[in-house]
Amino acid sequence: MNLRSLPSLLLIGILLLSTSCGQAPEVFKEHQTVYQIGDNPTWAKKVLNDGNWERRMELIPEGEIFWSRTRIDILKAPEELRPYGLQIDAYGEYEIFWDGVMIGKNGNPGQEAELPPEGELWITYSIPTHLATEGEHVLALRLSNYYFPDHVGQYEIEIADYEDLLTDMLIKTSYMHVFAGAFLIVSIYFLFLFLNNRKEYPTLIFSVCCFFICGLVLIVFSKDYVSIHYSVHVIRLQILNSFLLGISFLIPYYFSMQFPYARRRLSLILYAVLLIFFWIISDHAFNYKTVGMVLSMLIFSFGIVTYGAYKHARGARLVLVTLLMSIVVFLASGFVVSLYTGLGLILLGMLYLLALNIKDQRLAYESSLVQSTRLRLELLKKNIQPHFLMNTLTSLIDWVEESPKKGVLFIEALAKEFDLFNQIEDQTLIPIAQEIALCRAHIEIMEYRKEINYCWEEEGIDIEQTIPPGTLHTLLENGITHSLPLEGNSIKFKLVYESNSDYKCYTFLTFATGVRQATSREEGTGLRYIKARLTESYQSKWDFVSEPTDHGWKSVIKIYS
Amino acid sequence: MDILIVEDESRIAKRVERMTRDFFGNTLNSVSHINTLREALVFIENNALDLVLLDLNLNGEDGFDLLTVAVAESFQTIIISAYKDQAITAFEYGVLDFVPKPFSRDRLEQALHRVTSKEEAITDMVRFLAVKKRQRIQLISIEDLVYIRGAGAYTELFLADGSKELHDKSLEKLEQLLSNSFERIHKSYIVRMSEVKGIVVKSGSKYLAELKNGDFIPIGRTKYKALKAKWY
Repeated sequence: MNLRSLPSLLLIGILLLSTSCGQAPEVFKEHQTVYQIGDNPTWAKKVLNDGNWERRMELIPEGEIFWSRTRIDILKAPEELRPYGLQIDAYGEYEIFWDGVMIGKNGNPGQEAELPPEGELWITYSIPTHLATEGEHVLALRLSNYYFPDHVGQYEIEIADYEDLLTDMLIKTSYMHVFAGAFLIVSIYFLFLFLNNRKEYPTLIFSVCCFFICGLVLIVFSKDYVSIHYSVHVIRLQILNSFLLGISFLIPYYFSMQFPYARRRLSLILYAVLLIFFWIISDHAFNYKTVGMVLSMLIFSFGIVTYGAYKHARGARLVLVTLLMSIVVFLASGFVVSLYTGLGLILLGMLYLLALNIKDQRLAYESSLVQSTRLRLELLKKNIQPHFLMNTLTSLIDWVEESPKKGVLFIEALAKEFDLFNQIEDQTLIPIAQEIALCRAHIEIMEYRKEINYCWEEEGIDIEQTIPPGTLHTLLENGITHSLPLEGNSIKFKLVYESNSDYKCYTFLTFATGVRQATSREEGTGLRYIKARLTESYQSKWDFVSEPTDHGWKSVIKIYS
Repeated sequence: MDILIVEDESRIAKRVERMTRDFFGNTLNSVSHINTLREALVFIENNALDLVLLDLNLNGEDGFDLLTVAVAESFQTIIISAYKDQAITAFEYGVLDFVPKPFSRDRLEQALHRVTSKEEAITDMVRFLAVKKRQRIQLISIEDLVYIRGAGAYTELFLADGSKELHDKSLEKLEQLLSNSFERIHKSYIVRMSEVKGIVVKSGSKYLAELKNGDFIPIGRTKYKALKAKWY
């Protein structure tokens, strides 16, 4: 029931995610940040004429120290003993001053080249309560940006209750980890399914997709408890985008397997090229990359599934609905929310298709079981169907009455055939020698019944070979039933075996007169039996031809290797 | 007595032949054996027969066509078959008996006995009488049959819609096939009793059965008493 629990887990994940995004009213207002290269401790002061400072900084090479100043209005003073926290997301190592008071230190500005990397990309400090009064304040940072000198001043600042800042982050992270865990379990489950049935590539793709989503979520949300220095942030983004690249390719690929169309391979190659283009463009335009890949994935998937729905492919409509929903979510909400909600919805659609596949397989398996049972019964029926049994018994009564000794021999022949049938009835392939013994026993019986001299010949038989039970026996039965004897009251049967690297071939020849075209129900049943047996053992790798010839009848069974 | 055995199992055919010869003894004129349907059809067409012993499954072919041809002929037909489920169909088409395989001498002789006896039909399953038309066999439902008049070796079937058909079987042979709802009321007449409205007595001890369709058919002097007993 792991399958059933997945949708509810996803739903819970999505709901929790959306509730956690609900925000309390802002307690601060942020003004324009200004910059100045150089180092002067007085630049931390609250009151300073920074009118001539730069509003933008393109490049600050060599890890040179520079300062930033941001005027911040606190709209509401914090409650007593509940200090505000300041959350900063900025490139570089820096010291933080609030109204000229240093409230934190993140790394060693100006000494990055000499010292190892220190500090975190996302960091939270508390603002002393007495400094966070209602009114205007100045946040000054003394920074150096040694590793990304061209990435200056893209700061994100958040001020809120210090404890809330920390716990909200953890709550969101834990929800997302539950979400990731669900995908991990599903991924492992479907990986095992695939390992048990290696032909089912959609199962594998689904498993890999789930794993990628799990990886994506873990990478995105681990930042809250794994400290990351700003110098390795690009690597993190690259990993993240690689997961997204995989997901963006695999989802449409999966749909194209489920809803095949013309020129599938070509379109997939073109699509892969497009994705790789997004992936490699401009190193730092990560947002464009992500949006580009996700949009391409949605559009391409939508095209494939729409085509599938148009062709009335099973399940396509429901998947189309989930895709439309994810597109709506994508358009209606922020990128981060929509990414996970959308992926969740799409994966649900994929899961639905897999469930349909699994159902199909189960039905096919069940029908193959039924078919095998039916064939087995048909084989058993050969000896109790009235035409064989009653005619045999009538002849037997006559032999017993007229010539008891011959009658006993007749009974022995009958016993032999019954015994052979007993040995083979539950098998799908038997040694050719056993099948031939069955034919010979049958001939013996028929000689007592029909009083015709039946002759059996073999050529090139390889006793190592196997054959579905009752195949040659059925051909023999048809030969006996539909033939009249040649002059001299005899009918000859000949079995020829030939093989080469491509196929094995049995030719069954009947030499007789008056062989007529097969039309009747009984013979139809016989030929159907042979074909069903060949399919059971050799799937589609066989050929069966049955046709009249000058001398009587010829049946050829070819089994391809 | 001329008999044809249609059977593709040689041993069984010999058995039937032997037993038939034993049963009919001197009254037997000829016994022929044929093992294909096609030959049997030709043989029936070209030879006068009294009885055909027929296996319905020859060389895997369905002997149903042969059955309809056979029952339209003047001879009686006995089916000898391995398929008991064919018995009902066979009786519906008007065979004298159905002998299931395997059979004992007693069972076969019981069937052969019906050929010569005057006993009434053993079942009331007969539903059709097969009538030979120019190119085909027409099946007439027993429901439509009002009465039958003997006309030498042939009979005339008088049907509910007022039409008349000729049948190749003699009145005696039809009597053997028809069920109890039909009565032989005269040496030349068989009538469906439910069609009789009343009995009219004419001068000179002539008795007539008045039918619902307005026809009058004679009642044999000897049959009158038995009939009267049944009627009143």
